[in-house]
Amino acid sequence: MSSVDLKGPGLWTTSVGSLPKPGYLTKARGQRARGEISTEELRELELAATREWVEFQESIGTDLVVDGEQYRGDMVAFFAEELVGFEIGGLVRSYGNRYYRKPIATGAVGRDHAMTVDWWHYAQSLTDAPVKGMLTGPYTICDWSFNEHYSTRRDLVLDLAKVIRDEALDLERAGARYIQIDEPAASTRMDELDLVIEAMEVVTEPLSVHTITHICYGDFHRAYPKMLEIPVDQIDLEFANSHYSLLSEFSAHPFSKYLGLGVTDVHSHELEPVDDLVEGIRKVLEHLPPERIFVDPDCGLKTRSPEEAKAKLSSIKKAVDVVRAEL
Amino acid sequence: MSIQATMLGSYPKPPPEGGHFGLRKTLHAMERGEADEGDLQHAKQELVVEVIADQEDAGLDVVTDGQVGWDDILTPFARNLAGFSTGGLLRWFDNNVYYRRPICTGPVEWRGPSSVEGWTFAQSVAHVPVKAVIPGPITFARMSVDDHYRNRGKFVSALASVLAQEAFELEAAGATIIQIDEPALLNAPEDLTLAKSSLGLITSQLQSATTIVCTYFGDAKRLGPELWELPADCFGLDFVAGPANEQLVDDMPKDKALQAGIIDARNTALEPTAGLVATIEPLVDALGDRLSVCPSAGLEFLPREKAKAKLERLAEAAKAVAA
Repeated sequence: MSSVDLKGPGLWTTSVGSLPKPGYLTKARGQRARGEISTEELRELELAATREWVEFQESIGTDLVVDGEQYRGDMVAFFAEELVGFEIGGLVRSYGNRYYRKPIATGAVGRDHAMTVDWWHYAQSLTDAPVKGMLTGPYTICDWSFNEHYSTRRDLVLDLAKVIRDEALDLERAGARYIQIDEPAASTRMDELDLVIEAMEVVTEPLSVHTITHICYGDFHRAYPKMLEIPVDQIDLEFANSHYSLLSEFSAHPFSKYLGLGVTDVHSHELEPVDDLVEGIRKVLEHLPPERIFVDPDCGLKTRSPEEAKAKLSSIKKAVDVVRAEL
Repeated sequence: MSIQATMLGSYPKPPPEGGHFGLRKTLHAMERGEADEGDLQHAKQELVVEVIADQEDAGLDVVTDGQVGWDDILTPFARNLAGFSTGGLLRWFDNNVYYRRPICTGPVEWRGPSSVEGWTFAQSVAHVPVKAVIPGPITFARMSVDDHYRNRGKFVSALASVLAQEAFELEAAGATIIQIDEPALLNAPEDLTLAKSSLGLITSQLQSATTIVCTYFGDAKRLGPELWELPADCFGLDFVAGPANEQLVDDMPKDKALQAGIIDARNTALEPTAGLVATIEPLVDALGDRLSVCPSAGLEFLPREKAKAKLERLAEAAKAVAA
């Protein structure tokens, strides 16, 4: 429990990962897709948007900063596009009328270049606060892709684990002190939680930095306390969307890691009152000390507007300041 | 001898590559106050016309509206019933697709049909029968939060009453095939007795419509032979996610039909026709014309082009075996 080197009494603020793309970037991505602008022109705008988000996080005093993933369309497709062995498939629906391109594993998966290190370097050059390295975990990449090559899911997951491990090692060598390996799909199938754990072991075993995973929108009550066996220092969970129901489990089986505490619903336009967030944080403090808690939104904020996302992140900081003053 | 190739339920909403995002654009326009409910209705109907044409082109004998006007299978019903509010997003079984969890906060009461208008429109633009699909009471209950009855039996009965009314109205509007989706029953053998009584409440309302109790995402082995006592004319079983279902077919009562999900609705790899034929043949030997074939689940998990290609294969395989 000594992998966190942040100052202060705890309740550190951060983001889960993605932040909304400003209008000019969304427009430019469309233009790039139609061949109307070059990759270089798009990249200039991605750099500008990244700078704006890092500056915003600094301006509100965020403890652990993210690059906001302005250059990623989707957390799985981004890696599938960079890796060997994937084709980008057609559009499928996630909810309502939100669509994403679901990749297809059509060959043996491999990595021929670092995928996120340049972006991490750039974001870190803009701030004194530590910037998280952000990766998608092997189980989730497998689960959110079609598979036309591997005969078993396990074979695909374990090949992906080696690839993500190599990327994490590159981030660590570059200087990242916090690396998050997102596994939102981990809560999907209880009979595959062992596979999630086995794959994460491959990824985190050689790392000495603070490791985090984010899990969301599943049946936590069935995954708990088994999820504590995932070999990471911190697990980030949604509490707002699930109405803090997981806390009932913490009484029977204490949460033994650092907690990423999601306190705002990312699928709602509504800005929750700061008082609600304060109340939520206080509830969690009955189970965990502040120095084991990072406070953030439930999930990536990319589906909100930039204004909504900024308002939600500012509310989180205000709520944390209220509770910190009570410590 | 003919083997009907049918649709299970959902169909991809996103357009094929290069196609028109009519529905999504209309929703975005509504958010900006530049479109109204009438525009939305129109966009949904255009999409229904499109997905029914896809299914008919592929050669299906029975189609659905693709559920393209719905965000998920529960929300349109929960929004229209008294006693429900809609809660947060939750994963739909083991898929990277999400639904809004209904929260029951008071007595569940009928306030008018939820799906009849949609079915009526779909049938008006189709040349073959359009199957009506409603959620089953066990699945509805298990995927919801019950803050009112606090008793599964009472909650399920209340849901069965309103779903019975929905089924009745669907038949009155002209639906000849009514499918009741019960995927959650596969993991809830303890609810089987409750399923019998609640489904009975629904199917007993109907005069002549063919009723299907449909499961998917797994096998029905845990339900045991009591499964066949469910009061429906036809059973929908998933032979892709639940290969163990093959062993159940021999014990099927002679007066029941089988709707076999034989193409993988959740992976893009296209099944060779020969493989599908090999899957269908032993089922035909056992069941004769009591067999129909369909995708293993709703096709919304696939991109449009892949979904259509799979339906073409399905129809092709069914015709090959029948010949």
